[in-house]
Amino acid sequence: MSRSLVSPSSLKRKRPETQLPGLVDAEHAILNLIKSKKDLGIWTREIKLETKLADNVVTKSVKSLLAKGLIKEVVNIQNKAKKTYMAVEFEPSKEISGGEWYNNGELDKQLIDALKLVCFRYMRMQKVATLEGVHNEIKKNGVVTFDISSQQIGEILNSMVLDNDIIEVKSTGLGDYYSIPIGKTCYRVAGGAGVAKGPRMGAFATIPCGACPRISFCTSDGVISPSTCVYYTKWLGIDF
Amino acid sequence: MVSPHGIQFAAHLISSFYGELCSKVCECLLRRGTLTLAQIIQSTELSRENVINCLRVLIHQNCVQAFAVQREGAFGEAPRIVTQYMALFNNIIHKLRAPKFMQIVSEELGKDGLMQHGRLSLKRIIDRNEQTAGSSDIHVVRESFIRLLNARFIERCPAPEPFLAPPAEDEAPAKRRGAKSAKIAEPKTTEQRALAAAAPMESMRFLMEMDDLPEKNDDESSDSVTHRKKRKQDVLKSDEDVLDANDKKEVLWRVNFEELVRRLRTKACISYVKTKINDEAGIVLSAILDLSGRPESRQKAEKTAYLSINAIYDEVIKKEGGLGMDFERIRVSLNQLGCETLSTGLDESYSIGTHLSSFSYFNAVVESVVLRRYGREAYRVFRLLSKAGRFLETDKISDSTFVEKKDAIKILYKLWKDDYLHMEKVVSSGARQSLFLVWRVNKQTLWEQVLDEMYHAALNLRLRIAHEQDRGKEVLQLPREKLVGELEKKYKLLGKVRVILESSLMNLDEAIMLFHDF
Repeated sequence: MSRSLVSPSSLKRKRPETQLPGLVDAEHAILNLIKSKKDLGIWTREIKLETKLADNVVTKSVKSLLAKGLIKEVVNIQNKAKKTYMAVEFEPSKEISGGEWYNNGELDKQLIDALKLVCFRYMRMQKVATLEGVHNEIKKNGVVTFDISSQQIGEILNSMVLDNDIIEVKSTGLGDYYSIPIGKTCYRVAGGAGVAKGPRMGAFATIPCGACPRISFCTSDGVISPSTCVYYTKWLGIDF
Repeated sequence: MVSPHGIQFAAHLISSFYGELCSKVCECLLRRGTLTLAQIIQSTELSRENVINCLRVLIHQNCVQAFAVQREGAFGEAPRIVTQYMALFNNIIHKLRAPKFMQIVSEELGKDGLMQHGRLSLKRIIDRNEQTAGSSDIHVVRESFIRLLNARFIERCPAPEPFLAPPAEDEAPAKRRGAKSAKIAEPKTTEQRALAAAAPMESMRFLMEMDDLPEKNDDESSDSVTHRKKRKQDVLKSDEDVLDANDKKEVLWRVNFEELVRRLRTKACISYVKTKINDEAGIVLSAILDLSGRPESRQKAEKTAYLSINAIYDEVIKKEGGLGMDFERIRVSLNQLGCETLSTGLDESYSIGTHLSSFSYFNAVVESVVLRRYGREAYRVFRLLSKAGRFLETDKISDSTFVEKKDAIKILYKLWKDDYLHMEKVVSSGARQSLFLVWRVNKQTLWEQVLDEMYHAALNLRLRIAHEQDRGKEVLQLPREKLVGELEKKYKLLGKVRVILESSLMNLDEAIMLFHDF
């Protein structure tokens, strides 16, 4: 069977390897190609393009390699429709898998929410907490089954900061911060004004126009206008 | 240039207060910038007489400023002096705040109905007071006047028609020297120069000279006619000049919006800090601002002078709720407020930004809008970009905010379409050429966009108020006895609706005032 391999480098890679028993040349070529992609994986169409093998050959070989446990299929977060294959010895890179927070191509919201809750409760008790403190608490708590890193906890905390549930501050060494070195980043539960409360901050957001998705179409005498606005009618509680 | 809805809102306000014609003239100036009389006439297609009358009203009400410039003659003609008119957008919007201003004045100085109208000379103030209060004691009026002046609630009116000399010859070579030197001395626009030229000198602004005070009621002041309408006509004397000849001689006084806005802003600042941090921080901020007093010049001070911890403490304990505070707690508050410290030896002093922008008010407003309009995930995305202050790539955004990548794209696109974000496409070079989208919040354009929306909302509120009043006018016109059963319910509902709309407008107006300060 004639094969034409595209890059000379893959040829080079092929020679030093001893032929794995039970693999035909096609499977070998494909396996090597897949291995060369390491943790990025490769999808079917690309395999076909790079090896220039016939469609059915590729399909058959991939199936065979899968059955032999030499490659595995992974979900590609970038494009779930693309069947991506990877050598078994590699773990999908963050680009493909989406990272530690993705499970089977989807964001593991349950896990994230659970972690957020534990962090928040701890901080509410402590008033002020450092990253290390929270990390230790999570590990102690046993809420996760895997070995969660400090960096991952940091990501959770940052997300909570973005939600304005907690705020990031620097320790002054005074008051509540007495046990924390000056200048160290720590976190505390956000004060009551988490999200624009009160008339002055929320003045715009609490009227219909502030939340209106059609504000750019609204004119004083157009089809969408304050006089005819249904959001206003609802907000004012009038129906006469 | 004022934003589109800002213009509409201003025009609407002028129309409510001074009629359609004035509104047309005003809108023309706001849209087209500074114009001459001839240009206004041409643009509005109103008669010359109407335009002149409108300009007089608008100038009197401090909504328009006139100034004279020299125009080069065409084809060898001698240069001539031409009068131009510019709209004063901020002052127009202040009309909406008149009740709040009156409240501040009466809180500070007790009931004082002196300055209700555009601009008046002291003589006219006394005359007017005679009619309304029935008393002819000019000493009482004079004293009130001085109190208002000392509190800086009133100021000298700007010059009615200052002359702007053409830019000096030596400015031109500076520009030629290159972009660098031109940047150092940013040339003022004509409008800025006009306002600067019109403004009284700082030393004179709040100064009343002795001969300004009339000794007795002159019979000659035949302006002491009883009818207010006639009085207005006196000011708007019908001659060719837009400006009343009298105006040019007498010292005229008007409400000092700057001071009132400053006070409103300070109040709002303290209240905002109390909500955002806690009461103690509010007390400390109030103490600091009191100690700092008002900025001496027209320039807005970026931050206060450095104040010692002792001075701050002394001021804090005077305040309500401040007596129990000690140095330690004050320091904590100062830290929370983001004060800058300066510690030299035994001295410990602090300085703080004087604008709400120091307390991320701008962010708070915009973020609350994003949350309500686009949802919680969009809120996180927006906050991330806002804090980052630079371009971030889609994946990075999605990772940091725990938003699914496909959802992140949708959110980013929506925000971008509504002008809340900037977007750029980046093509990465290398073995794999891929297209990345990067996103960023641009504070300047965002501020303009949101402010415009706020004006739009304010206009909408006013239009809706008018609409509801119109719809319910039959019920509103009924005498009280007839308001029973269904009609009574309707009446009450109308009242409730009005309260909601008007209080929302008041709150929104305050938010606009603070937001504008950014």
